[in-house]
Amino acid sequence: MGQAVTQQTGSGGRTATEHRLDNGLRLVLSEDHLTPVAAVCLWYGVGARQEVKGRTGLAHLFEHLMFQGSAQVKGNGHFELVQGAGGSLNGTTSFERTNYFETMPAHQLELALWLEADRMGSLLAALGEESLQNQRDVVKNERRQRYDNVPYGTAFERMTALVYPEGHPYHHTPIGSMADLDAVTLDDARAFFRANYAPNNAVLAIVGDIDPEQTRGWVEKYFGSIPSYDAVAPPRDGTLPDIIGEELREEIQEEVPARALMAAYRLPHDGTRECDAAELALSVLGDGMSSRLYNRLVRRDRTAITAGFGLLRLAGAPSLGWLDVKASGGTEIPQIEAAVDEELARLGAEAPTAEELERAQALLEREWLDRLGTVAGRADKLCRYAVLFGDPQLAFTAVNRILDVTTEEVRAVAAARLRPDNRAVLVYEPVTSEDTAGTAAGQASAAGQNDKREGAGR
Amino acid sequence: MTDAAVTMDFYPMPASGQAKPWAFPAPERGALANGLTVLRCHRPGQQVVAVGICLDTPLDAEPDGLDGIATIMVRALSQGTGQHTAEEFAAELERCGATLGSRADYLGARVSLEVPVSRLSKALGLLAEALSAPAFPGSEIERLVRNRLDGIPLELASPGRRAAKQLAHELFPASARMSRPRKGTEDTVARVGAAGVRAFYEAHVRPATATAVVVGDLTGVDLDAVLAGTLGRWTGDTAEPLPMPPATADDTSRVVIVDRPGAVQTQLLIGRIGPDRHDRAWPALVLGTYCLGGTLTSRLDRVLREEKGYTYGVRAFEQVLRSPAPHAADGATGASLLAISGSVDTASTGPALDDLWMVLRTLAAEGLTETERDKAVQNLVGVAPLEYETAASVARTLADQVEQHLADDYQAQLYARLAETGTVEATAAVVAAFPGNRLVTILVGDASQIKAPVQAVGTGDVKVVAG
Repeated sequence: MGQAVTQQTGSGGRTATEHRLDNGLRLVLSEDHLTPVAAVCLWYGVGARQEVKGRTGLAHLFEHLMFQGSAQVKGNGHFELVQGAGGSLNGTTSFERTNYFETMPAHQLELALWLEADRMGSLLAALGEESLQNQRDVVKNERRQRYDNVPYGTAFERMTALVYPEGHPYHHTPIGSMADLDAVTLDDARAFFRANYAPNNAVLAIVGDIDPEQTRGWVEKYFGSIPSYDAVAPPRDGTLPDIIGEELREEIQEEVPARALMAAYRLPHDGTRECDAAELALSVLGDGMSSRLYNRLVRRDRTAITAGFGLLRLAGAPSLGWLDVKASGGTEIPQIEAAVDEELARLGAEAPTAEELERAQALLEREWLDRLGTVAGRADKLCRYAVLFGDPQLAFTAVNRILDVTTEEVRAVAAARLRPDNRAVLVYEPVTSEDTAGTAAGQASAAGQNDKREGAGR
Repeated sequence: MTDAAVTMDFYPMPASGQAKPWAFPAPERGALANGLTVLRCHRPGQQVVAVGICLDTPLDAEPDGLDGIATIMVRALSQGTGQHTAEEFAAELERCGATLGSRADYLGARVSLEVPVSRLSKALGLLAEALSAPAFPGSEIERLVRNRLDGIPLELASPGRRAAKQLAHELFPASARMSRPRKGTEDTVARVGAAGVRAFYEAHVRPATATAVVVGDLTGVDLDAVLAGTLGRWTGDTAEPLPMPPATADDTSRVVIVDRPGAVQTQLLIGRIGPDRHDRAWPALVLGTYCLGGTLTSRLDRVLREEKGYTYGVRAFEQVLRSPAPHAADGATGASLLAISGSVDTASTGPALDDLWMVLRTLAAEGLTETERDKAVQNLVGVAPLEYETAASVARTLADQVEQHLADDYQAQLYARLAETGTVEATAAVVAAFPGNRLVTILVGDASQIKAPVQAVGTGDVKVVAG
């Protein structure tokens, strides 16, 4: 595979050094003195995939609790201190990890390390019922705002539920269900912390205008005494057959502004050369304003308002390629679907032209330049490759691997994976508000039916 | 309390180190022979160069009944030129790893290019082609019009966008362009055709009234030569800047519910208008607004989110709408939208509004604290080097300054002004900006659930309109 390169000077002459504390905390340092800022990024190897039935959303709700104080940090002190120091900060939760990050003026770096160490080592000293109740309500409003009160807002959740079958660790998305969020107890949160938030289950990356020796000293001082936890459970196995084996399909009657065709394909795991080839295939088909699908559906046929493909790279389960087409005017979905199928089959039958591959590679190279162009972006990518693949240096060579893929490899992955029997299709059919009372039940039964079909398909 | 048993070593909170100097970059201002103003700024390490082209085509310049033609025109610049079809143009640009965006707004239109520096010359050549020789093919204009017509319901489905449309409609007189959607309505967009687009372009797009902002790592780039061979070839006549009618708004306290039966949340947008950045009180307004609703530890979220859990977050902000260069005689005559925005779960709508008004009343009665002011200054000034790490963020601010007729060192000076602004001034500015009895409230939500509780809050007449 194309990922054996280590310690190579990557794009932009960027380098990083790796260290490990006695308690297992992995540390990655990368110097960049162009701007007096320093990014701190901490990835914990825990995400939604570690959640169990009945407790979906726990990893993300827990991420919120990490901002509610620890032994030496009162209440909202984490936010107040970082922002008061001129820093910016946040945390996010995905299937495979939870991350926390601060970007600080360089002279405030030590504060960020002190804060992260305090909550890694002593969160439970401050965690209480009041915080849990409050952040549960906040997260439920986050769910409403980002998914439930937005047209097509639950599409992603529906597609992952189809592509990753019942019982699979990626069957549910990080936001979780309202019922499960309601069910979380303080004991759940405490147990989750004990099981996952240990220095040996984390990678800390610090990038920017830093003195590496001094920074290592601070990390040793603040994090070094936090005990490791030997019983961190590895994530459940997410292996699935390469191909779903049949087309899964769900039609949704909802109050949306336009018909939509969405589809999710099972694609190769992140970290493989085939995954890079798949990303290029999706880019040829559906990235930018001159992709095959954009040219066909939006420019020529004029059947779509937008048409694009996205890739969710996953390391512990098949990656997910996501097609999103919004229909123009009165266009019917079968007409769009036939065109999509034709374009996908054409890419599987015949390799893209050199110009098409060049375009796709240039767009992806540009994305990498953007990602690595900020200290925070670089810290995040270093953590990502360290947590998921054990080697942060891969962040600097990722773009080289994409540029190494050939047109034939793009064709091959399209032929193998972008097939009707390897996708979950969502069709949105708009209804007016007067009709909606009747659709809630209709949706529920459609989802149930699809679960069964999906089970049968395995 | 076994949970509290902590075995790590604790240390006192560290003091900060010595701050390193940082200043918002000063651009170098110049002009090409064709009259195009150029602001350039070298940012070491920023391999993706950001180019912003400011065009003097404020939405007020749109012909009557053709709202949205400015948006179609700037989008159409890249949909076919004398040398490339629309498809070819997009493919050429993307083979450079470039992205091109455009938008038309009350202050003017902007075309934004971002491209790796290694392909800057090629991409600038394409940009020059789009600006100087757009073909405006009838079929492409038709496509853009239809795409826009399709896009309107998609946008209005978003509660935030729907609220913004309603607030503009409520605040501004119907005759003012600002009362109507930036990208037009179904009626006006449907009337846009290729001839009209060309006429609008010919009337308002020319190098003499445009500015190019170029920011990035320009090491080894002969930018003068590159510009001469690209944007320098764009030709055109001269024109006077367009006059800007002053903005007026009706901020009589009232509530409009945009009915969305079954909505699980209510989108709030509460606002009025205030001054633009030329106003001497602007730094105080920025500071006070941050204290009110800049982050989750600001006054609004401290109650609505972190105490009550009604919301994922509520923010207070200002957005400049009108910013003419002030004449010495009449001072600043611009305008900005001052607003509070966020969403709350349907059942909490009444209590959330009660609390929101309580926060405003408390602020007016007691003012900001010194600590609050200090932290706000430390944040607003301290985050500057983070905010302006990328070329794109620097280019955006420089282009905003151009559009708003501000000096090139406006942002650099703003940090000094913020640091000088005291608690009393910041309090005065934010209290004047958000008076509890002069705010228009837009609520996008389920009227059957929220109307009665909202009436009980007592912030003015409550009207319900269709969603």
